[in-house]
Amino acid sequence: MATRGIDFANLSLMDALDLAILIEEEAEERYLDFAAQMEQHRTPEAARFFRFMASNEAKHGLELSARRAERFSDAPRVVNRSMIFDIEAPDFDAARAFMSPRKAMEAALASEVKAHAFFVAALPALRDADVRALFEELRNEEVEHQELVQLELDKLPPDSGLSDDDFVDEPSAQ
Amino acid sequence: MSATCEYQAKDYKSDLKPIWCPGCGDYSVVQGIYRALAAIGRPPHEIAFVSGIGCSSRIPGYTTAYGFNSVHGRSLPIAQGIKLANPDLLVLAAGGDGDGFSIGGGHIAHLIRRNMDITYIVMDNQIYGLTKGQLSPTSQKGRVTCTSRYGSMENPVNPLLYTLAYGAGFVAQASPTDLAGMSAIIEEAIRYPGFAFVNIQSPCVTYGEEAQQIKGLKAIQGTLASLGHNPADRLAAMDLAQHYGSKLHLGVFYRNPEPPPTYGDLVKERQALLSKDALPKERILDLFIKK
Repeated sequence: MATRGIDFANLSLMDALDLAILIEEEAEERYLDFAAQMEQHRTPEAARFFRFMASNEAKHGLELSARRAERFSDAPRVVNRSMIFDIEAPDFDAARAFMSPRKAMEAALASEVKAHAFFVAALPALRDADVRALFEELRNEEVEHQELVQLELDKLPPDSGLSDDDFVDEPSAQ
Repeated sequence: MSATCEYQAKDYKSDLKPIWCPGCGDYSVVQGIYRALAAIGRPPHEIAFVSGIGCSSRIPGYTTAYGFNSVHGRSLPIAQGIKLANPDLLVLAAGGDGDGFSIGGGHIAHLIRRNMDITYIVMDNQIYGLTKGQLSPTSQKGRVTCTSRYGSMENPVNPLLYTLAYGAGFVAQASPTDLAGMSAIIEEAIRYPGFAFVNIQSPCVTYGEEAQQIKGLKAIQGTLASLGHNPADRLAAMDLAQHYGSKLHLGVFYRNPEPPPTYGDLVKERQALLSKDALPKERILDLFIKK
């Protein structure tokens, strides 16, 4: 999780909304990538869950986009994706071939925790009251998301006890 | 806020879905490349991306740039040919440690001494992953693989020291553990006018050892900037490069503060010199026709 070139102290509400949209877009894209990876590796349950997460991120992105359009119409965006890195998107190495639904949900939960930490860390630097209110709202939403994922996790039966190593080929003479 | 980008990272992403193992470091590397290219802002049709053979060599196909997934170890000569034929192209070459330092090991020296304006990105995972886990040129001594059942008896190639010793004008190292840092380094490498080498420690989740996974890399990594390293100091860079394999220094080891002319510049100069007295293009065949 990192940012580049974001001046939090002088962040305007429009830029803050745009960043929040970009964060959702990045997460949606990563979940779609993970889903594709799982499908490629015959892991349909995890793929389904990642697609579900992608649709959630897309929904949040659309909600934020609607708010942005209402408030700032089609004013050109001045922030871009190069300024944010893995804020709400799960880490690249969070995916594994044949991962169980539990592991997939744990990866999503870790991402929600990470996103929450981002908004918490950014808050002290914010000077604009509207931006602060937005970040507080987003921070609180991350807590709700964590709870939702945790609820889903709690519904799952225990894992098989197999680890990733059980699926790795042993070195063999060629 | 400032800075608007005409191109976004997604503009460099092709429709082809990567088929690397989930969790592979190369997923992060390709994202770093998309972002670096977006920051550079050249349209995809002005970029040529050449690779050799291996897991990481699939990378050109995942971009919208012109791509050539070429022959094992031969990405650099092909990239050189492309650059000479069309100097206006931004030319990138990529591959793995086996492709770059074993099968293609002989080519790096020549691109460096010619100072070809090419950025070479190596995804170094210390193993031949695509062919199921054989010893590679950067595998640690003692490493047990299917081709070294009792442990490797060979010392690994040190890619950083190797390229610095050959005189590369830009040598850097990055890691998928730091996507922001990695894309900034790739961007800087592309902007360097001359041969630029970026070694990326990209873990193999299937055949890599535990210590080489993201968690292991994080435990030994640190930025060169935090050590107060001056990237203009080549000897200091060579000193630090010796830690390859035990510490993961991230950042620019060496950037020549006074980049020499590239091979392309010299070719242009030579062409200008020789073309003064040359026949116009449409009469060039006259040279070969006896009057």
